[in-house]
Amino acid sequence: MKVLGVSYGYHDASACLVVDGRVIAAAAEERFTRQKHDSNFPTYAVEYCLKEAGISSGDLDQAIFNEDPHAKFSRVLCSSMAAFPDSRREFVESMKAWLGRKLWAVNTISARLDLAPEKITYLGHHYSHAVQAFMGSGFEESAILIVDAVGDWACSALYTGKWQDGKPKVDRLLEVSFPNSLGLVYSAVTAYLGFSPNDSECSTMALAAFGTPRFADKMRQIIKETDGGLYEVDQAYFNFTKFFRGPVTDRFLEEFGPARSYKDNLPFDCFGTPEGVVSKDAQRLADVAASTQLVLEERVLGLCRKLHGMAPSANLCFAGGVSLNCVSNYRVLTDSPFESVYIPPDPGDGGTSVGTALYYDAAEAGGTPGRAPYSPYQGVELDELDAVKLVDFIKPEHFVPYLKQGVELPKGSKWRFKTYKDRDELYAAVADRLMAGQIVGCMQGRGELGPRALGNRSILIRPDDTKLATRLSKHVKERASLRPYAFSVAEKDALTTLAIEPDHVRMNRWMQFAVPTVESARPKLLGALHIDGTSRPQVVYEKDNPAYHALLTAFGERFGIAALLNTSFNPSGYPMVTTPVEAMVMFARTDMDALLLNTTVIWKDVEHS
Amino acid sequence: MITAIERLKIRLAVSVELSGKPAKVSEVIRGFQATEADGVWHLYRGMKQIDDPRERAIIFGHCLEEESHADAFVKAYKHYGGRVFTPTHYERKALYAGDEPIWKTFAFVHVGEVDATQRFRILSQELPPGALKDCLSNVVSDEEGHVDLTYEMLKRLGATDSAIRSEVRWVRVRRLWERWLRTGKRLIDNLANISLSIVYYVFGALLFGAARRRLARGFVTYDNNKMKHL
Ligand SMILES: [Fe+2]
Ligand SMILES: [Fe+2]
Ligand SMILES: [Fe+2]
Repeated sequence: MKVLGVSYGYHDASACLVVDGRVIAAAAEERFTRQKHDSNFPTYAVEYCLKEAGISSGDLDQAIFNEDPHAKFSRVLCSSMAAFPDSRREFVESMKAWLGRKLWAVNTISARLDLAPEKITYLGHHYSHAVQAFMGSGFEESAILIVDAVGDWACSALYTGKWQDGKPKVDRLLEVSFPNSLGLVYSAVTAYLGFSPNDSECSTMALAAFGTPRFADKMRQIIKETDGGLYEVDQAYFNFTKFFRGPVTDRFLEEFGPARSYKDNLPFDCFGTPEGVVSKDAQRLADVAASTQLVLEERVLGLCRKLHGMAPSANLCFAGGVSLNCVSNYRVLTDSPFESVYIPPDPGDGGTSVGTALYYDAAEAGGTPGRAPYSPYQGVELDELDAVKLVDFIKPEHFVPYLKQGVELPKGSKWRFKTYKDRDELYAAVADRLMAGQIVGCMQGRGELGPRALGNRSILIRPDDTKLATRLSKHVKERASLRPYAFSVAEKDALTTLAIEPDHVRMNRWMQFAVPTVESARPKLLGALHIDGTSRPQVVYEKDNPAYHALLTAFGERFGIAALLNTSFNPSGYPMVTTPVEAMVMFARTDMDALLLNTTVIWKDVEHS
Repeated sequence: MITAIERLKIRLAVSVELSGKPAKVSEVIRGFQATEADGVWHLYRGMKQIDDPRERAIIFGHCLEEESHADAFVKAYKHYGGRVFTPTHYERKALYAGDEPIWKTFAFVHVGEVDATQRFRILSQELPPGALKDCLSNVVSDEEGHVDLTYEMLKRLGATDSAIRSEVRWVRVRRLWERWLRTGKRLIDNLANISLSIVYYVFGALLFGAARRRLARGFVTYDNNKMKHL
């Protein structure tokens, strides 16, 4: 059976092809269109998935969509009507989008894929998330928690999942309805703090570490706990139904003080050496972030308690946009009644295409929990020849006017490359470069699903050098100094670097949790730690990613710990690179020193006359 | 003649629509950023179909320049935009069907370069001093280079002068048609604004109570736990 999962319309459009219960290919549309969080119909992601299997859309048995457009339309309509007479603009703009396009999403899929409408199934949005969370988990049975901004009507949802007679059975227990949304509150506060909502929630989470939660009681009143772990959001503080009026109301501003303009400096540095004095006002904003973060964690834990009461399982599957909050995820792992927590590699909307396709296949053709787990490396395979053929013809001196701010190119710069036949020799050479303090772009095999770079589209440096990490932030990634980096560590060194229980090691393979680190290992990891000594590790197993594991091991032999600072390979404002040419453009314009493309290393050299 | 009309239009826009309105200027900048980024995407796509590494290296440089233009507009935006920059997303569409020769894509890009050069040059002359004027003055000299670069690329890819001329004419007609379509869309959009506003005030007055009760319900109660079909 060939099933295509499709997600689009809000953000992170994606497609996934499942053939006979196995994921053949999955990718977000943004990786093809170079528009971060692209929400348009995933034309190129679908094209890629079908090509990967050597089939055309006519060969598909089924397509499955991650949303119920009619239910969502009724929510959008209700929400703009409820704010009458202050929501004319919201009503007009939403109706234009919905009546013109979004309401006909299923018909669009049918037309674009040239597939009969009866071959297209759709699920409610939170149901899609629930099957997404359950299908890859490998659990026989599990409680399922979904928390995001808003789907059709639901904002948070509790489900159970189990395998029964060889088929997955995912049942709803309860769905908390719009406008009671933890995700929307977090996004509103993100906008209030001057970051980009629906994108830079990670900045709010990062800022929280610099604050004290002195507004937590106020925030607890705003997001009130109700009935044994459920919650309610006081709408007097937010403009969820009148979004053109800004993210928060005047009442919110009275309680928490003025919002930050994105132009105002926030002089926090996760290495503890801020450029500039932290003003009272900047500290207030950090305190608001800390309070919001703390109360988010409490409410997510409340939902866990409620869920465990209704479905007393040892296992939890967790998905939805809020499950990208790795600080709150760690609280779920340590402070909730669940013992095992599974968060898919792409727990946001983009990953629903994978879960729904797997679910449809197993629900129709049968399956087993052990067959459903999938690797996050489902994206486009790299063709290094594409780049290698180009290197000799590239003239770096031509790029000088187009370098990123602060990047310098020494006179006589040349690009060189070497393709290695022997893998050991290759990883030794790259490890030597990393030891020497070089910034290395690493592109190997197939691209990752989801927002985390897991060694195949990563930028790597040695993890102990904060100066190098600052150079990486300023002249490569162009990111704020308050945002910490994460690291990858080979399985053998997981417990010497991470202060976690042995049972939790394998749960940390996709950077889902911000965990404490072992104090004695910290000097070796300084560049990859947040101000509070935590990091968001990727524990790398040889069987999951042999190439990256080999590189980590080679580096470990020189450094003492098989760990590398790992950040996503993307220019600021763009999604992760997909082709070597995109990687080379970033390499050319930034302060990166070398590029690893499968078995080829490209580096910047200076020709001395 | 076309330049004179274009100049008049831009002068009018600068003095009436943009003058003293940073929010409007920031929207214009978002549009420029999106056009530059879209250009890079088409170049990347075109490059995939070219084998000769020399030609690929030329396009590589071109991609790099256009990407830096997109960045320059993001920087300029910060002087005008009240909210953090978010890029405008287009639905990306290939310019030609897969079986058309690749040089046609570059003919399209070439026309885009000619138009961008003209528009950016006039705009940089007409604008009062400021970040956008500076940005455009920098970008326009590159764009002038791109006009020749893309023409040379057309020749390298084997297009004859007469084929180029006829394709450029065709691209111009296509772009004119697209512009008309956009004008038509704006017209329909305005009509939709008026009629939906009327609907809002008529039905909103009747339905807002029911809508508020629906939002106050707190939980989703309809059957949401099944696979659905149209
Ligand atoms: Fe979602
Ligand atoms: Fe340009
Ligand atoms: Fe150009």
